[in-house]
Amino acid sequence: MEIDGKRLSLANLEKELYPSCGFTKAHVLEYYRRIAGCIIPHLQDRAVTLKRFPNGVENEFFFEKRCPVHPAWVRTAEVRHGAESLTACLVNDLGTLIWVANLAALELHVPLARAASPGTPDAMVFDLDPGEPADVLGCARVALILRDLLSRLGLTSCVKTSGRKGLHVFVPLNRPETTFEDTKSFSRAVATILQKNYPDLVTAKMAKEQRTGRIFINWSQNDASKTMICAYSLRAMERPIVSAPLTWEELEDLAGQADPERFRISHSEAVNRAETMGDLFREVLTREQNLPHL
Amino acid sequence: MALQGIWSGTISFSLVAIPVQLVRAIAPGRISFRMLHATDYSPLARRMFCPQQGSLVPPEEIIRGYEIEPDRYLPITDEELESLTPERSRTIEIVDFIDMAEVDPLYFDHPYYLVPLKGGEKSYRLLAEAMRQTNRAGLAKFVLAEREYLVAVKSTGGALTLVTLHYNDEILSAADVAPREGASAATVKDRIRGSIEEMMAEFDPAKYADARRQKILDLLERKAHENAPVEAPEIATEEGEGPPDLVAALELIMAEVKKKL
Amino acid sequence: MAGGTIWKGVIHFKDTSVAVKLHASVREERIQFHLLHRRDQVRLHQQMICAYEKKPVPVEAQTKGFEVEEGKYLIIDPEELEQATPESSRLIEVHEFVHTAQIDPIFLERVYYLEPETASTGYGELVAALQEMGVAGICTWTMRKRSYLGALQASGTVLRLNTLRYADEVVGVNALGLQEIPVSERELQIGRDLINQLTAPFQPEKFVNEHEQKLRQLIEQKARGEKVVVLRPRTLKPTPDDELLQALEASLKKAA
Repeated sequence: MEIDGKRLSLANLEKELYPSCGFTKAHVLEYYRRIAGCIIPHLQDRAVTLKRFPNGVENEFFFEKRCPVHPAWVRTAEVRHGAESLTACLVNDLGTLIWVANLAALELHVPLARAASPGTPDAMVFDLDPGEPADVLGCARVALILRDLLSRLGLTSCVKTSGRKGLHVFVPLNRPETTFEDTKSFSRAVATILQKNYPDLVTAKMAKEQRTGRIFINWSQNDASKTMICAYSLRAMERPIVSAPLTWEELEDLAGQADPERFRISHSEAVNRAETMGDLFREVLTREQNLPHL
Repeated sequence: MALQGIWSGTISFSLVAIPVQLVRAIAPGRISFRMLHATDYSPLARRMFCPQQGSLVPPEEIIRGYEIEPDRYLPITDEELESLTPERSRTIEIVDFIDMAEVDPLYFDHPYYLVPLKGGEKSYRLLAEAMRQTNRAGLAKFVLAEREYLVAVKSTGGALTLVTLHYNDEILSAADVAPREGASAATVKDRIRGSIEEMMAEFDPAKYADARRQKILDLLERKAHENAPVEAPEIATEEGEGPPDLVAALELIMAEVKKKL
Repeated sequence: MAGGTIWKGVIHFKDTSVAVKLHASVREERIQFHLLHRRDQVRLHQQMICAYEKKPVPVEAQTKGFEVEEGKYLIIDPEELEQATPESSRLIEVHEFVHTAQIDPIFLERVYYLEPETASTGYGELVAALQEMGVAGICTWTMRKRSYLGALQASGTVLRLNTLRYADEVVGVNALGLQEIPVSERELQIGRDLINQLTAPFQPEKFVNEHEQKLRQLIEQKARGEKVVVLRPRTLKPTPDDELLQALEASLKKAA
C-alpha cells in the first residue's frame, strides 16, 4: 500500500492479535490509522520503544528500542542507552505509525524528553500504580487530591488511564531549562508529603511490602532512561484497551460511580472520543509551566 | 523479530556489483530471561575479568588469541584476520550459477536475507528476477565474522536469500548408518503406505507450536497474575523530604487540601 | 564415517513403530579463539557484574528474571522452569505426512541420520514407502528437555530426521519492505544469458575453506616469530543504474 507517497508492505492482516475477541492485525492498523491525528503529536520526535507481540497478546513479546530494518523514509535518531548509542525510530507521520503497527508493536512507549534534547523533560509525571487489593478507584482518589494540590501551586495537570490498572497524571512544562533532577525531586517531594498525610492510601516507596492495598506514586519515572505508555496507545491486555486521556470532570464522575470497569476505554470508544472531543491531552504538549519553589 | 543488519558489503557477479546488507532470516523463538542480582534485583551484565591484574577489562583492551600450548596464547589482531582473504570480507563474489535441485539439503546451514542498499535497488532486482526466470542460484564464497562460508544466493519471492552451506569435508557419510540389504516385507510396506495415505495433509508450519515455549509462557502468565513485578531500587539518594522551600509550601497546601475534603 | 549415537528414539504412527538411533550428519572443526588481555596476553574470564554496585556477583546471588514492563521483572525459580519442561520420552510421534516438495527449504534446520536399532522392524519398508510416495512425515519429539519439530524423510536407503524451524521464527520476505523496481527486457535478457554462461554443475568437493587454511598458516608463522604482512580489504564500487546495461554487456563478452 502507499501512504503519502511512501510504499509499505503489509502482511498477515488476518492474524488475530487479541484472540479472545478476534481483533486482528487489520483491526490494529485500522485503530492506529483512525487515532493517528491524536497520537502522532505525542510520539513526534521521541525515541519510541516498541513492545511487539508478533503472535498476539497470549504469546511472547519483546521490547525493541533499536529501530528494526526499515524503509528509507522512516525517520530515526541516535540515542544514548547507558554506555552505548543506538538508533531509535521516530514515529512522526502516518506511514511510520502504520509501519510500526504492522510489526505488531501493539504498545508504543515514549520517554518524557524528545530525542534531540534527551535531558529536558517536557512534562512531569505521577505514575499511580495500585497495589492489590487497591484499584483504579483508589488511583482516582489520589489523582484528584494531586490535581487539587498542584493547582494550588499554580500548576495545571492532565490525567489519562494507563490502560492497565492505574492512572497517569501529567504536568506540562515545555520549558528548555527544566531538568529531570527538577522533576524527580519535585515529584518525590509531592509523593512523600502525600504519603505522610494519607498513609493508608498512598505510598512513595517501591518496596513490595509497602504497596499492598495502597496507591504507589512512582515518582522515579521522571528519569531520562524511563518510558511511559504513549497516550492513545493500545495495551496488550486481553481486550484492546487504550491508554486514554480523560477530563477531570469525567474522572470525578467515574470515581463517584465506583465501577473500575468504566475506566477501561476500548479502541472503539477511544476513536469516538477522539472524533467528538479531539485530543484531550493536547495541553501536555503546548502549555508552558515552571516548577515553583525549587 | 528484529531485522538487524549483520554485515554490509557488495554482492557481485562478473562486472556487476550491488551494495547490500545481510539481515537475519531466522529469529529464534527463545524466551529471553535476564540475570538479576538476587539482593536488589538490578540487572547483571557480562564483563571480562583479567585474573592476573585482578580487575575488569574494558573492550579496548580485549584481543583474540589462539591457544598454542596449554595456557599459552598467541594474540591475533582484527587486521590480521581481515587480511587473510581481503577481497572476501567485503564482497560476495558469485563465480558459478547452479541448479538448486542439485544441492542435497544436507548442505544447508543457515539462511539470511540480502537487502539492497542505496543505489543498488535496480541491480538487485535484476539479479533476483534473472535468477528466478532461469531457475538458478549463485554460488559464492564469503567471509563473515572471520569465518569463510560457501554460500548459495537464491531468488525467493522477489528477494535474495543467502544460505550458508557446509563444506564437503564437513559432511559425514551415511554409509555405515544405512541398513544392510535385507528382505523387505511387502505386507509391512503396504500397511505403512496405507497409514501414510490416511494421514496426508498440507504442509503448514503455522500448525505446529513449540510445546516448551508454550509451557513457559503459561508459567509467566500465571506468575504475572500472582505477583507484582520487582524493579531495581533507585540508587539511594539522601533520605529527606526534598528541597526545603518546596516542602514548606507543600505542607501549607496540604493543610488546606485536607480542610476542604 | 557418521558420528556416534546422539540419542535413541522410536518413530511412531498408527500401528507402526520403528526404533532408531540418531547420528549427526555434519562435523565442523573450526579454529577456536579465546579472549585475551591485550597487555599481558592472559586469558580473560567472564563475570556477571551488578549494574548498580559495579561489582562481580557470585552464582549463588544470581536469579533469573523476565522483563514484563521496562525495567520491571518477574522472578523465576529454577524449579518452576524445570516443571515447564515437557516430559521426556523416546517417542518420535508422526502427526501427518506431506509432499516433500511442499516443504520450503527455509524451514529446514539440521539433519540427523537415523540408523535402525538392531532387530528393528519396519525401517526398510518405511524408507521405501516414503521414497515411492515422495512424502515426509511431520513429527515432534522431546530430546534433552527441548521440544523439536521435524520432517522424517527418505534418502536412498537411509531415513533422515530433518529438524524444522517454527513458523514464528522465520522472517517473511514481506518484512523486508522491498520495492518493485522496473528492469528493462534487454537488461533481463543479458542477465539471463550471463547466468546461463556461468552455469556449472554443483560440485561441492571443489570448494575448500581457504580462510581456515590461511588462518592456520598465519598462526604457524606467528608462532615461529615470523613477520606477518597485513593486507587491507578492498571494497568494490557499486554499479550505478545507468551503467548497469554496459556492465552486463561487458560481462557477457568476458564470459564468452
